[in-house]
Amino acid sequence: MARRPQKFRNGRHNMDYVLLVVVLFLVCFGLLMIYSASSYEAGVDMEDPAYYLRKQALATALGIVALFFVSKIPYKFWQRFDFIALAVSIILIFLLLTPLGVTRNGATRWIDLKIGLTLQPAEVAKIGIIIYLASMIQRIEELGKNILRTPKGLAILMTPPVVVAGLIYIISSNLSSAIIIVGIAVAMLFVAVPDYKWFIIIGVVGLAAVAAIVFYAAGPGATGEGSFRLGRVRAWLDPESYSTDKAFQTLQALYAIGSGGLWGKGLGQSMQKRKFLPEAQNDMIFSIICEELGLFGAVTIILLFVVLIWSCMIVANKTTDRFGSLLVVGVMAHYAIQVILNIAVVTNTIPNTGITLPFISYGGTSSLFLLAEIGIVLNVSKKCK
Amino acid sequence: MAQRNSKRKPTKRKSNIRKFRRFNLQKVKSMKLAVMMMIILLAFAGLGVRLYAITRDNEVDYKKKILSRQRYDSKTLPFKRGNITDANGTILAVSEMVYNVVLDCKVMLDDEKNKEPTLSAMADCFGLSRSELNEYVENNPTSQYKVWKKRIPYEEVRTFQEREKQYNDDAEKQNKQITEKDRKLGLIQGVWFEEEYIRRYPNNSLACDVIGFTGTDNNGTYGLEEYYNDELNGMNGREYGFLNGDGVLERTTVAATDGNSLVTSIDANIQAICEKYLNQFGEEHKDEVREGGGMMNGGVIVMNPNNGDVLAMANYPSFDLNNPKDLTPYFTAEQIAQLKQEEKEYDALNNLWRNFCISDTYEPGSTAKAITLAAGLESGKIVGNETYSCGGALTVSDRDISCNAIHGTVDVGGALEQSCNVAFMKMGEAIGAKTSVEFERIFNIGLRTNIDLAGEARTASLVFTEQTMGPTQLATASFGQGYNVTMIEMACAFSSIINGGYYYEPHVVSRITNSNGDTIRNIEPRVLKQTISASTSEQMRHHLHMAVAQGTGRSARPAGYAIGGKTGTAEMVPRDKVNYVVSFIGFAPADDPQIVIYCVIDRPNMQKQATASYATGIVKNILTEVLPYLHIAKTEEMTVAEQEEVDKILGDIVASDNADEEDSGTEGEEGDKSEDEGDSTGEGDTPQEGALTVDDNGNLIDAVTGIPVDPNYSMSDDPNLATEAIRENASSGTSSTGSIWSGSFPIRNILPENSESGNSVSGDNPSGNGPPDENPAE
Repeated sequence: MARRPQKFRNGRHNMDYVLLVVVLFLVCFGLLMIYSASSYEAGVDMEDPAYYLRKQALATALGIVALFFVSKIPYKFWQRFDFIALAVSIILIFLLLTPLGVTRNGATRWIDLKIGLTLQPAEVAKIGIIIYLASMIQRIEELGKNILRTPKGLAILMTPPVVVAGLIYIISSNLSSAIIIVGIAVAMLFVAVPDYKWFIIIGVVGLAAVAAIVFYAAGPGATGEGSFRLGRVRAWLDPESYSTDKAFQTLQALYAIGSGGLWGKGLGQSMQKRKFLPEAQNDMIFSIICEELGLFGAVTIILLFVVLIWSCMIVANKTTDRFGSLLVVGVMAHYAIQVILNIAVVTNTIPNTGITLPFISYGGTSSLFLLAEIGIVLNVSKKCK
Repeated sequence: MAQRNSKRKPTKRKSNIRKFRRFNLQKVKSMKLAVMMMIILLAFAGLGVRLYAITRDNEVDYKKKILSRQRYDSKTLPFKRGNITDANGTILAVSEMVYNVVLDCKVMLDDEKNKEPTLSAMADCFGLSRSELNEYVENNPTSQYKVWKKRIPYEEVRTFQEREKQYNDDAEKQNKQITEKDRKLGLIQGVWFEEEYIRRYPNNSLACDVIGFTGTDNNGTYGLEEYYNDELNGMNGREYGFLNGDGVLERTTVAATDGNSLVTSIDANIQAICEKYLNQFGEEHKDEVREGGGMMNGGVIVMNPNNGDVLAMANYPSFDLNNPKDLTPYFTAEQIAQLKQEEKEYDALNNLWRNFCISDTYEPGSTAKAITLAAGLESGKIVGNETYSCGGALTVSDRDISCNAIHGTVDVGGALEQSCNVAFMKMGEAIGAKTSVEFERIFNIGLRTNIDLAGEARTASLVFTEQTMGPTQLATASFGQGYNVTMIEMACAFSSIINGGYYYEPHVVSRITNSNGDTIRNIEPRVLKQTISASTSEQMRHHLHMAVAQGTGRSARPAGYAIGGKTGTAEMVPRDKVNYVVSFIGFAPADDPQIVIYCVIDRPNMQKQATASYATGIVKNILTEVLPYLHIAKTEEMTVAEQEEVDKILGDIVASDNADEEDSGTEGEEGDKSEDEGDSTGEGDTPQEGALTVDDNGNLIDAVTGIPVDPNYSMSDDPNLATEAIRENASSGTSSTGSIWSGSFPIRNILPENSESGNSVSGDNPSGNGPPDENPAE
């Protein structure tokens, strides 16, 4: 926490404005794209073309308020809540089992707040895990720098995120959030721990497991139990054969991307959004961006995310405080994993799993917490050298 | 748990320090962040390449796939074929919009719950089988186009649409209060109606051969429908989506252009009168000698000689235009089966559909004597004061050609009156073959009249040329044997003889209007040539008048009128004195011809065919009704017997009219029956089906009064309205009602008259009913 005199920035205004501007741009762009992607379907189904836009705008407004509010709170404040954050996350996940849980499309992923809003515990769990891990790593390192380098230390740290991820997967059958939580935890540890060997081992084992599943799924006898996920894997391997059911969404997304060409059809001119591409405003919004704005627009968005992640990395790097730095790493990992997985799903690089594109996809809870996380990063950036 | 662990950590600290190399946490973090960033950037780069690859490899393919799935909903908007109306606006042919019921299973099954209400609504409203519907939907859940019922009227569509709207409104109201998706009610959806026009002929068989008929393909067959097919047809519109230059889907509607309507010179009332008496004859003599109708063919043409307007063109047998392929009224079931077996069904149908008045040729017989005499007088070869002696036969080229009687000495007029073949053969000899053929051309015999109806026959090869006309041919041709004509040729030629010599091109259509009712073309009378001089024409009128007043045509004269005309009885090939074509051609009134009427009966179904009074009887009855209808005043005194006869005809009309009135609520009764008496009486003036027309706003109005139809309205109550109506229907000066002509009856002049009242249809007329007029060469 040593503070050095700054040459260009004074202590009060050294927030990372690049980050803020990029985020605000992405949020606004996201609203635009949500309107473009959903207005047709909303107009047909809800008789209000701006149905999704208005809901998302409300969540975004809340999120921006939260962003500025959080950016005013010294991040050290959050360290007090490390255990509480974990506990709240787990309690919220269990609340899904109570009548408060809301089921949509066959999955119980939302809690009815009884004030006309719903909350996704998985989103809370993500930030909860980030705070908890950042705090724990710092505390353990204070006890001894090398404790984390032992398998036991790693195991102790990794247990809560894995448990939370497992609960999310089992209770809300939300594989993508579970993967993201584990991914965030691994990324934070990766930065905190000097060694590589554990991570290489994890990586190799993970890849082997994936390869095994894929080979199993591609094999002939893969039916019966667990066939939902396996079916998705098969649909991923051969989308044309499943074009009417499992791979329908993926194929439609590919058609959208492919038909966009280099420059796209123009904003608002997507044809795929007209009842062909399910969840066009949600998981698949990136394909609509590709269709309307072309490869050019898609790469621009990717570059904006790169700038965002890069800014986070700079903040994390400059911050000498261990807790603050790890918070930023967690947030950065969260964004990076979600963006990469989302685009990978849309381009059928990996099997279809419901992952939203940060700041752009439709989703109230997700937007709120993603923006609040930016608030944390901005606050950390004030304190960096 | 973690708390506990961290408290135990210090004990392990020392061992750990020894185990690991010392490191700077900040440096490690920078290094690790750099590695992580590298991984992230690599991932993004990989995804970028993947995006590029997808776009590069599949852009064209995927664009096509997307476009091919877009529904452009290219939909044809049918045009409306134009109407055909008579001179007074009575609708003869009209196109009506009907609807096909189409079910789009995919749209309906958008929500499985829609199935039940939609299918039950369809079953209820259209009387479809519920199980059939269910089965189809089960088997074809993705079907988007299935026609379930064809050509239903708008009323049925409206019933369904009302039910759909009511049900859906209720369901949506309820759905608003239900939040759970599973409990929401289904809607009626996925049913739509395809528009189509069908052709209707409100008067069924009225003027069937003149109008012709049209199926759903908008392709007219016979008559006006065929001749004016292109004029009647419009252009289909289209509703379609297309991709503009920016690849944006746009929708456009090109409205259909409706076809033009025809206003004909046909007067439905006169047409109906002609058909009534022609059919009456056909019915009376049905199966008399041979099986079948009262004549093989029959035709009546009523024309206005002063402009070529065809006022009526009736045929026997007639057929129902709304059901033209129905042979049952003419044949028994076995006969039809046999026809079908021998594939002669269409021959029979074509015979039925053919317009005898323009498509059939026959030898005109004595009616042609008018032409011979006109040619002689005009050429100067006959002066008019010649006398001929008839000994019952004349020897031409060593052959005896007999006359119908021994006439003794006759003058020119007498020859026509008595229809003396010998005298006319002598006239023919005087005229000569050259002049004879010349006048054949002048009177357009052997040439088409170019009447605007489909199927006019060519008779060029059936008439004489100078080369083929030897002395025998010249002799027989002078009384109308040996060459063939069509009815319309004769009617036009005869018109020119009595109208002052003007040969008008005959026509049926007088005006073509567009779908808004604006006139786009008037078909004006066309004088093609002067056939004879006005003075010759005047002489001819006199001679022809005398032929009716004193001669063979006496039985054609309607009571109270002076008319002119000539009978004809032509023996058919082979000349075995079995088959004859009898005819009468005449004009009325005698001094100022307003109409020409020509009636031909081909092979009457009677023991003694060669009796021209069959034709004159029909003509007389027609004229008795038509002349008053046309406001032609009576000029002659009437005997008591005549008055009684006229009263009897009118009384019959009134009686049958009242009978009509009783069941006038029944639609679809025989067209000619409801049409016949149309507006021809003052009493019981029930507006008939045929008297209805459509005003500018599309409302049904009375053709005559121009007011909305009111079955209890009687014209004669308010003469002011009548004049107003006539003004409105300015298209024809002949527009009128029976109530008016009943008022135009002259005061009865009951004067005893001793002259023989030989006007009855079948009355014995010494000259008219004589033995065969003609006796051809062989």
